[in-house]
Amino acid sequence: MIISNQLRRPRLVLIVDDQEINRDVLGMILEDDYEIIYATNGREALEMIEENLDRLSVVLLDLIMPEMDGFKVLDIVRNDEFLKRIPIIVLTAEKNAELRALQMGAADFITKPFEMHEVILARVGRIIELSEGRQLISAAEHDRLTMLYSKSFFFEYANRIHQYHPEWHMDAVVMDINQFHTINELNGREFGDNVLRILGNEIRAFLGETEGIASRFEADRFDLYCMHQADYQQLLDRFQEKVNTLSRNASIRLRMGVNPWQEGVDPLLLFDRARAACNMVRGDYKTNLMVYDEDMRNHELLNQRLLNDLQRAVDEREFCVFYQPKFNVQCDPPKLSSAEALIRWKHPELGMISPGCFIPLFESNGQIGTVDNFVWNEAARQIADWRDRLGVVVPVSVNLSRVDVFDPALEDTLTGIVERNGLDYKSMKLEVTESAYTDNAGQIIGLINRLRSMGFEIEMDDFGSGYSSLNMLSSMPIDVLKMDMEFVRNIEHSEKDFRLVEVVLDIARYLKVPVVAEGVETQRQMELLRDAGCQLVQGYYFSRPLPPADFEKLILREKEIVREN
Amino acid sequence: MTIQELYAKIGGNYDQAVRIMKSERLIDKYVRKLKSSGVGEKLAEAGESMDAGKLFESAHAMKGVCSNLGLDGLAGAADEITEEFRPGNPRKLSDEAVKEKLRDIDERYRAAVEGIRQYEEG
Repeated sequence: MIISNQLRRPRLVLIVDDQEINRDVLGMILEDDYEIIYATNGREALEMIEENLDRLSVVLLDLIMPEMDGFKVLDIVRNDEFLKRIPIIVLTAEKNAELRALQMGAADFITKPFEMHEVILARVGRIIELSEGRQLISAAEHDRLTMLYSKSFFFEYANRIHQYHPEWHMDAVVMDINQFHTINELNGREFGDNVLRILGNEIRAFLGETEGIASRFEADRFDLYCMHQADYQQLLDRFQEKVNTLSRNASIRLRMGVNPWQEGVDPLLLFDRARAACNMVRGDYKTNLMVYDEDMRNHELLNQRLLNDLQRAVDEREFCVFYQPKFNVQCDPPKLSSAEALIRWKHPELGMISPGCFIPLFESNGQIGTVDNFVWNEAARQIADWRDRLGVVVPVSVNLSRVDVFDPALEDTLTGIVERNGLDYKSMKLEVTESAYTDNAGQIIGLINRLRSMGFEIEMDDFGSGYSSLNMLSSMPIDVLKMDMEFVRNIEHSEKDFRLVEVVLDIARYLKVPVVAEGVETQRQMELLRDAGCQLVQGYYFSRPLPPADFEKLILREKEIVREN
Repeated sequence: MTIQELYAKIGGNYDQAVRIMKSERLIDKYVRKLKSSGVGEKLAEAGESMDAGKLFESAHAMKGVCSNLGLDGLAGAADEITEEFRPGNPRKLSDEAVKEKLRDIDERYRAAVEGIRQYEEG
């Protein structure tokens, strides 16, 4: 308290009157409580207001003065964004002038002659108090950088609009800047702030043309609650053009998500959905605008349901593992070599759910580890079961997701699974995508080296879809290359695609590792690959992924063939 | 001459001056400034040109100064001119009548200034 009292400087009051006696008398009344400065006409007053803008608490302004009168001063101050925060009390003896001055933005008036000192002191004190309170509120109400509303005030006002004007059709718009942190890092914080400021200005200009409010919600996210617009692409282009003018060298890409007005939907939910739409733009370089619709809503609801149901699915064994065989095509006839474990979800209400639906969802949510763990355990148990019952060890590949790579307990977990089932490490192969290698090369290479030294074999999955350099490839510890199915798709019809396959096979020869071709669907594809030297083939040509019981039949048939030969 | 005697001599309202300035010391300080304020001279000048804007401004200035000093007579007379020439107000007096009033104000003002001079001289 002592400190804050010491910090509190006396308030500065500007008295403006052309008559020295009037200035002195008023100054005498106020001098015990305030620091006082004087101006003799409107022009001088404006100069002093600008000079003392940060400190000035109130202006006491005579109305009739030479050079520039008080009304002109009021007019200028009222129309200036910065000056208008200083309250003005007019000094007058005329009732008509009081009214006019108040209508022009004066905060109060003091009647001449200055008889009632206590009234004058009380009015000055009250106006300063009100103004300081308003400034405090204003500081919390607005983001200083963009002068848009702060998050909490924005939602308060949006709720009021929703509550008191249900007839207004207000849309929720969320806009942000792609990779804003890298823009800041590359061009400096000042540049980044300038981008935000320019966007704020343009948003305010737009809101001046329609009805609505806006907020800098956080960092580079802007929320607009505005009257329904027919063309949001046009609006986004307008904002994009504005930031494009800022720098030719920096690529700044805006994204926008819109949730159009819906009867009865409150702003909070409306903005949640607009944000979800905006997030869907992420990673899509063709479009930068997404409008939330019924499909998106259903998709979101489904995602949320799947996330909620994950643990139950594990506990209730709704997940099951299917096995897709890989055949060695360099033998005649091709021989079952191994399998890939692929998860399936038999949801009690939604039926069979495609892994394409839930794997990316759990990956983005960080919960893929739960699914992976289930697959590892189940695959290991299955390998052991077939070995024990059928006397055949069929090696099975399982996926390691990116998040698994960062799990400090990964090596212990995998070792535990292998040991518990009494497996040879080589019978559970680990698939890591090429892009995981290139994203975290240093970290992943260390981990893979440790796993290989334990005895695991590592397959590089989706090879060709990432961006490995040849130099990088030679330092990557791998045992098998799995060629991305995109390479195979067209080899029957495109010589160019077939050449690419030959290049991949050459790379594998250089690395001295076998290649698994994925997505092989026809006999011709299989023959081309076989003749080009590809060892292993996986795909619908041989078999779709099979439930364990069906895969078991395949094993038994293979055993039969071996026996016959 | 005491300050009260000065106010009685020049037709001022001493009680009003006390209400505004609270102390005799301050009344003494500010009443002496009337001489140098120039409000009377400016009003007289405006009367010579009969410029409505100048008449309004200078009469308004005199009214404000005199009312703060408790010089009610002068303030009231200046108020009449102020209202006569306030922009937007219809004129009520002829130019001759205005000039007559200005002469009256000038006389009162000069008398007040003379009285103050005598007061200063003791």
